[in-house]
Amino acid sequence: MKALMIGKPKDKANKKSFTEILKVMWIRDKWLYVLLIPGVLYFLTFRYAPMYGVIIAFKNYVPFLGIQDSQWVGLEHFTSFFGSPDFLRLLGNTLWISFLSIAIAFPAPIFLAVLLNEVRFSIYKKLVQTCIYIPHFLSWTIVVGLTHLLFSINGGVIVEMVEALFGTRINFLADPEWFRPMIILQGVWKGTGWGTIIFLAALANVSPEQYEAAIVDGAGRFRRIWHITLPAIRGTVVIMLILTMGSVLNTGFDQIFLMTNSLNRTVADVFDTYVYNVGITRGSYSYSTAVGLFKSVVGIILILTTDFIAKRVDKESGLF
Amino acid sequence: MSDLHKLHNTKPGRVFDVINLIFLGLAAIITLLPFVYVVAGSFATESELARRAFFIIPETFTLEAYRYIFTSEAFIRSIIVTVGVTAVGTLVQLFFTFTMAYPLAKRKLHGRKLLINMVVFAMLFSGGMIPTFLVVQGLGLIDSYWALVLPGAINPFNLIIIKNFFQNFSVELEESAKIDGASEIGIFWRIVLPLSKPIIATFALFYAVGIWNDFMSPLLYLNDSSKWTLQLLLRQVTISSDPNALGSLDPDYIPPAEGMKLAIIVIATLPIMAVYPFLQKHFAKGLLIGSVKG
Amino acid sequence: MRSLKKRGVWLVAILFSLFFIVGCGNDDDDTASNDGGGSDGEEKEFFEEIKIMAPTFETTAPPADNDWELAVEELTGKKINMNWVPNVSYEDRMNVTLASTDIPHIMVIQGKTPGFLNSAEAGAFWELSDYLDDYEHLSQYNEDILRNSSVNGEVYGIYRHRDIMRSTAIIRKDWLDNLGLDVPETIDDLYDVLQAFTYNDPNETGADDTFGLIIPTWYGTLDTLSIWFGAPNGWGIENGKLVPAFTTDAYAEALEWTKDLVDQGLVNPDFTTLSPDDWNSVMFNGKGGVIIDTYSRAMQINNLFVDETGSTDPDEYFVEITGTLLSPDGEEYGQPTDGYSGFLAISKTSVQTEEELHEILAFLDTLCSTDGINILSHGIEGVSYELDEDGYLVPIESEEAAALKSYEMGQISMYGEGMHQMRGDSALAQKRYRLMEENEEKAVFNEAAPLVSEVYTTRGTQLDDIIEDARIQYIAGQIDQDGWNDAIDLWYNSGGQELIDELNELYQNMN
Repeated sequence: MKALMIGKPKDKANKKSFTEILKVMWIRDKWLYVLLIPGVLYFLTFRYAPMYGVIIAFKNYVPFLGIQDSQWVGLEHFTSFFGSPDFLRLLGNTLWISFLSIAIAFPAPIFLAVLLNEVRFSIYKKLVQTCIYIPHFLSWTIVVGLTHLLFSINGGVIVEMVEALFGTRINFLADPEWFRPMIILQGVWKGTGWGTIIFLAALANVSPEQYEAAIVDGAGRFRRIWHITLPAIRGTVVIMLILTMGSVLNTGFDQIFLMTNSLNRTVADVFDTYVYNVGITRGSYSYSTAVGLFKSVVGIILILTTDFIAKRVDKESGLF
Repeated sequence: MSDLHKLHNTKPGRVFDVINLIFLGLAAIITLLPFVYVVAGSFATESELARRAFFIIPETFTLEAYRYIFTSEAFIRSIIVTVGVTAVGTLVQLFFTFTMAYPLAKRKLHGRKLLINMVVFAMLFSGGMIPTFLVVQGLGLIDSYWALVLPGAINPFNLIIIKNFFQNFSVELEESAKIDGASEIGIFWRIVLPLSKPIIATFALFYAVGIWNDFMSPLLYLNDSSKWTLQLLLRQVTISSDPNALGSLDPDYIPPAEGMKLAIIVIATLPIMAVYPFLQKHFAKGLLIGSVKG
Repeated sequence: MRSLKKRGVWLVAILFSLFFIVGCGNDDDDTASNDGGGSDGEEKEFFEEIKIMAPTFETTAPPADNDWELAVEELTGKKINMNWVPNVSYEDRMNVTLASTDIPHIMVIQGKTPGFLNSAEAGAFWELSDYLDDYEHLSQYNEDILRNSSVNGEVYGIYRHRDIMRSTAIIRKDWLDNLGLDVPETIDDLYDVLQAFTYNDPNETGADDTFGLIIPTWYGTLDTLSIWFGAPNGWGIENGKLVPAFTTDAYAEALEWTKDLVDQGLVNPDFTTLSPDDWNSVMFNGKGGVIIDTYSRAMQINNLFVDETGSTDPDEYFVEITGTLLSPDGEEYGQPTDGYSGFLAISKTSVQTEEELHEILAFLDTLCSTDGINILSHGIEGVSYELDEDGYLVPIESEEAAALKSYEMGQISMYGEGMHQMRGDSALAQKRYRLMEENEEKAVFNEAAPLVSEVYTTRGTQLDDIIEDARIQYIAGQIDQDGWNDAIDLWYNSGGQELIDELNELYQNMN
């Protein structure tokens, strides 16, 4: 027992014999393993058992025939996807939207959470918090409907305002140049308030004494934000960033589909809408599974890379 | 506190405060307005909805849509079902997630890395709709409310964030409890969880919203239409907005009235939105959680 | 020992999961009726109840054993078990059901989607061409529609009949009256109306704040126009060969005509982005005066005006409908639907033998009888409707009738003779039924409707998008004639030529 306690902070598993490790597992951590049981069972049953389903990426899956009896086609779906003349354009469009959204939509909730944290009238703060998280509950159909209302070339308020101010009439909804800014703008409007919740939860960990002490030390507002608030949420920010990287190739479907029209399709087509369009005509679970597999592989590589970089910068952060 | 207040009230501080309050106020307004319109529209007549693009107070006030909804027995039943499934389901999902997150936060645990890898992998790779359906069917969960709760019992994304929160937990507290002879489960239950209220509140909200908004699970797993949840109804009325469906719609199909759509949106979102203000008080109660790394 | 226990847990868990996989995979074949052979002749009943999967468009599914369902059960002498599925994701649910071990006897199929086609090809449903003629009522099908609903001639389901004519121009009546214009009868008349609606201040505000035609991002309007001009409906026959509509002269003429409208400002300026959701309100708001779409939309818009004015006079109406407009060459070319909306398919998994099939078909035959079609299409006489002295159907407006209507048994109504006709309760409705009847004679059917092509199944959306986008860009002035021709070349090179070849081959084989 005692020896184990001493070795605890930095277990070097490989230096111990197998039986010793088992001993540790059983004696010291028995109850921790007991706690793990429901979770592990869950993953095995609902996440891993169905995973044999990914082999349909290599088959022509017909639900009626079942996975077993569907025809094996090998890499056909992959070659038709990568070989498609549109592949590079789709990849480009997808990455553009993802990176703009990581650059703008990802930091927005952090910024807003920090500002909210500075508000001292708690009723006002709660009121604002409650309002800004509402858009999360409105469907993309409604958000896109509102966008049409505001940005329509035929009497949209914002189009009129822009014309009054700058003298040009911009067709925000049809001009391919404006497609990406509009998508990001909608994303920020819809997701920022909701996104603050996790950071506000992290900020709840900061004890008021730290701020008080800093004030007594004469630290100004921005120094307090810099030295207390931001470090308090750094771990959460890093982990959120790492996890977000996993879905870089997922731009979501509804929003982009609804915002696409005949004039902006060249910049609007992304993997998710493409798979939908192809999938709906092919009825192909197989094809979308193949594309999904590709996206997952890219996602896992990006997650591990980001995690690796994060650990290089700060040993304590990261996934593990 | 009054001393502190004075210290706050430096001139640049005040300017910042004013700008900040105005900015946040504006943000609140532009996020609130559309929903106010949805609510107002649900009380308006069809012709007003078609004539006016945006309004906050309807000219003619009508309860037609709500009267229809609340006289329908099936609708009331689905509200009760949804609230029940969300409440129980949230507890179950919190249980699964927190019991797994806590041991995974212990760096000393053998096999931890393997398990975390397993979680991350499952976050990205999934078997897809039909194999998952077959598992649910194999477990005999078809037409059971458990089918709405168990397949999503742990969101790997949430699990990892919670695990990270726990990793920052003050070690001293736990050590002192251990010396008092408490087991790991005892520490988890009596010390860690009570001090993790902001995190529990946050993820309770995430899970509750997830179950509430889920429409694929009830669609696939519930044959018995008396068990349908609100989201199915919501999707049914918003279908006419799907531009893709327009071309193929049955010529005899008459889309639901606009006011009805809005009323259903209000009923299907208002209860879950109301949860947040109630949870907010817990966001200030995690102060003891202590040692934040800086 | 202890390690064994630990491993034991894992082992059990893995076995547990494997069990599910295997358990689910193997169950596929042992469903359906267990009395296999059963050749005791006609009187033997195979199915105590018939399970039917159907979509529901209502927000709440019909309750089991409601009055309407009971009426159908009484008529057919069969217990029915309806499995209602929300229309929103019917396709997904259909596929999951086909993958599962519990397949209903009859499934409503909403259209020839690839999911359905794959399963049909794999033998999920009965091919019915050889059976229908054996039944008194099922044999009353319309040849053309049955052909349209088939898959390259194979009949995998019994079609659900729908109105054949539904396209019309919808015009604000008050604007016509203000300007003293007649209801247009030809496309040239329509052009004059659009001109006047844009420039002659039809709403009498004194301001230039109106336009003629309203086009949203759903471009059915352009298809309808091209057919009215004389282009094929999707696919037509030229020199004995199938050709796509957009290569024909009439199509080009229609495109030119529409471009001219846009150039002159007779169309809403946001026609590249206007959501179809806002279509009705643009007309109702008095911004635009003409929509080309279906009669149902005309009814919707008229109802908005009725709602606004509180009009109770059934002879008063607010939008004019025209039916098919005559082409500039003086001929009439109408745009029909395919005449059906989905079909009822019979599962081979749960209905295994021919004897069993006969029992199901006998049941469906009853549903196609005069009584059957009337119950399914109109509800229960005395509750949902009455018949007037001329035998026309008059709907009853009562809460009971409204409740019954939401039970949606109409989802399984197919076709049949002796269906009660609606006289229409208003002047507008009567005009609608008259126009529908008059226009039907000159309908231009899609020659390729029954054909299901491999190329189209894999590349259809991209091919359609090429033409769809190019024609909008052309009309909007973003590309010129050369750009349009380039798009057509791109279409040919992206699989279009293969599509033409394949369809022609299928067409030859079928005829």
